[in-house]
Amino acid sequence: MAVHPAPYDLLKSIIDLSTSSMPIEAKLDGMLQGISRFLGSDRCLLVKPDEIGESGFLAHVSKERKPLWVNKESPLRGEQVLIEEQGLLCPTFACLPLYDDSILLGVLYIGFSEDRTFSSQEADLLLLIAKEMQWVIRSERAWGHAKRTKQLSTLWELSKALLTTVNFERIVEMTLTAITIGDGLGFNRAMIFLVNEKDRVLEGTMAVGPDDAEEAGRIWSSLSRKKETLLELITRLSPRSTSTLNSIVKGLRIPLEQEACILSRTVLEGRSFNIQLPQFEVGVESGSNRSSRTDSYREGWLQTRCEKGCHLGSEVGCYVGEHLGRDPRAYSFATVPLWGKGKVIGVILVDNLYNQNPITEEDIHFLSMFSNQAGLAIENALLYRNLEEVHQELKETQNLLIHREKMAAIGELCNSVAHEIKNPLVAIGGFARRLYREIPDGTPEKRYTQTIMIEVARLERILDDLFRYTRDESMAGQDCDLRDILEETLSMVSEKFDDRKVVVVKEFAQDLPKVHGDYQQLKQAFFNMIHNAYQAMDGEGRLSVRIRPLSKNGSSFVRVELEDTGKGIDPENLHNIFNPFYSTKESGLGLGLPIVHKIVLSHRGQIEVDNHPGEGVNFIITFPARPDATSVRGNGQARKQGRMAVSEKDQGEVPEKSLRSKTDEEDYDR
Amino acid sequence: MKRIMIVDDEENIRLLYKEELEEEGFVVELAKNGHEALEKLPLFRPDLITLDIKMPGMDGIETLKRIRETERDLPVVMCSAYGEYKQDFTTWASDAYVVKCADLTELKNTIRRLLGL
Ligand SMILES: [Mg+2]
Repeated sequence: MAVHPAPYDLLKSIIDLSTSSMPIEAKLDGMLQGISRFLGSDRCLLVKPDEIGESGFLAHVSKERKPLWVNKESPLRGEQVLIEEQGLLCPTFACLPLYDDSILLGVLYIGFSEDRTFSSQEADLLLLIAKEMQWVIRSERAWGHAKRTKQLSTLWELSKALLTTVNFERIVEMTLTAITIGDGLGFNRAMIFLVNEKDRVLEGTMAVGPDDAEEAGRIWSSLSRKKETLLELITRLSPRSTSTLNSIVKGLRIPLEQEACILSRTVLEGRSFNIQLPQFEVGVESGSNRSSRTDSYREGWLQTRCEKGCHLGSEVGCYVGEHLGRDPRAYSFATVPLWGKGKVIGVILVDNLYNQNPITEEDIHFLSMFSNQAGLAIENALLYRNLEEVHQELKETQNLLIHREKMAAIGELCNSVAHEIKNPLVAIGGFARRLYREIPDGTPEKRYTQTIMIEVARLERILDDLFRYTRDESMAGQDCDLRDILEETLSMVSEKFDDRKVVVVKEFAQDLPKVHGDYQQLKQAFFNMIHNAYQAMDGEGRLSVRIRPLSKNGSSFVRVELEDTGKGIDPENLHNIFNPFYSTKESGLGLGLPIVHKIVLSHRGQIEVDNHPGEGVNFIITFPARPDATSVRGNGQARKQGRMAVSEKDQGEVPEKSLRSKTDEEDYDR
Repeated sequence: MKRIMIVDDEENIRLLYKEELEEEGFVVELAKNGHEALEKLPLFRPDLITLDIKMPGMDGIETLKRIRETERDLPVVMCSAYGEYKQDFTTWASDAYVVKCADLTELKNTIRRLLGL
């Protein structure tokens, strides 16, 4: 006969089991084994509620809520036996229903292959054990329920956080923070890859996670010290964008055609993957020493050796794993698809590299629930971002149109004001001149009148400039020889500055195509520029005027350079020199260069500024040459001396080396 | 003594031109618009006429056309605030185009040239 353990030992082992930290299945299994050993039963099991039919003796027991004891002396009395219950019809058996209030938790069944009776002690013991099992199941249920409630409230908090913004970067940041934060989903690292539909690739968008275990510890301990709600925490935290992981992930582009890659598969199949990799090989000395096993799982999971260059395996998973310098037992990672409205817009990849926690199906389930929310939020943010971009473009175009309209309106206004002012000004100036002639020399009145005359003359110049800039000038078209225009303008300006010491160096090409344009306007443009140059040099300096033909992209041009040795342009003002009403001079509207600009543009020309502050400016103007125009033979005095003819003003000495030719730099037409 | 008719809608301009030209030894008659100029033309019989372009009522260009209907050889000097009508071919029927300026030297030179003085 088998030695039966004492009832006390059985009860003690049952209570030990019930208070242990084992999973519920192990607890119940241990209890059933204990019963079996104690009673010497042949079958001992717990029938779950969903295994109990509508009728049958188990259902009967459940409804009656009373134990059932069956042997030869007290057989089943009319209780129905279902086909699936026939296996339970032992000569002797007991059924004890387990309840939590009104909810059936299961039925404890103990069966013997031979006829026997149950002593009252045995019956009491079984009732006691059943109660304990009842308690274990009930608390497990309660705990499971609490856990689900907690998960749901976490999910709610996280989703709420995603609603706080429509900014794409922030949404992605918050999603990854929620996945990695301990109170959230609690993964060690998380990365988001988004589908680029146009190029059919997955692009690394952002990654959150510590670069090494040390940093991981630091972050987690600092977080646990703060008392904040999850929502507050997530909306406040901004992950470090400078992490190595983030920069690696941001550079990744994985073609969706690369079907062996787990990330592509997650998108293409639209389902999650939970992958537990076998043990890492530690301390890899060199590539050749790697075991084939290590290589095979690497290839298996992320195609490390892929020719197309998916370096995710080596960089993110394996590299960092080795970098840890400790013995990681295993590497687990999981991917879940990011669902937008009806399509997968990306992938979330998570792992537990640092604490090596296994990733359970429940974790994946929770992650999937969250990523559904995140996917919609990210898709919305993307749409919003696109909308914003389009809106920005529209706004810029609109601003440009408004600016043009404004300029046109200002132009019209200026034009009519200029007209209204001109006549009174002529009258004032005219009578001042009459007075001036009447007043005897040497009197203060003579000087006063002179002042009026000078100031009126200045106002007239300003008005002329304003008028010239704002009117829609119709161009008189004729073939112009720029050399003639420049000669004429140079002499006009030098007359105005006749007491100054300025050397003019002319380099005029002998053969030059003509330019189709308005002679007067071109003269005006060159006049303004030369006038400016004289002013900039303030009395002394060298003005180089170069004209030569230029061939570019099969078209011919005439290139004019006006280089002075003046102050140059303050770099701060450089971008404004062609803007009307922007002046660096003490007086005047600053319309000189804007007029030049307008005239050059209306001649389909280009103007460049080679500025050397403190040394001078070189204005380079290029006009398209008149097509098929036969070049004009040079016949001027200066031109006879050749292309680099020099004309001296004020008999200034011109050193030979100051004559620069750019022949070797650019090709000439002929 | 050469006779000059000044046509301008601005009273002060008319006064300035009159005084300046009379000082130069011309006989000057004034008109404040095109209509007045056409009325006075047969009575005054000028040797030269200066025409402001921008005038209310009948402007200078219209007036020039009317003058040319009867007076083909009468020298006409067009005057305007800016050179904006230089490209308008209707002003080409005039003999000169002078941009108004406080300094009347150009106008006087033009008048003397046209009168062969
Ligand atoms: Mg007027």
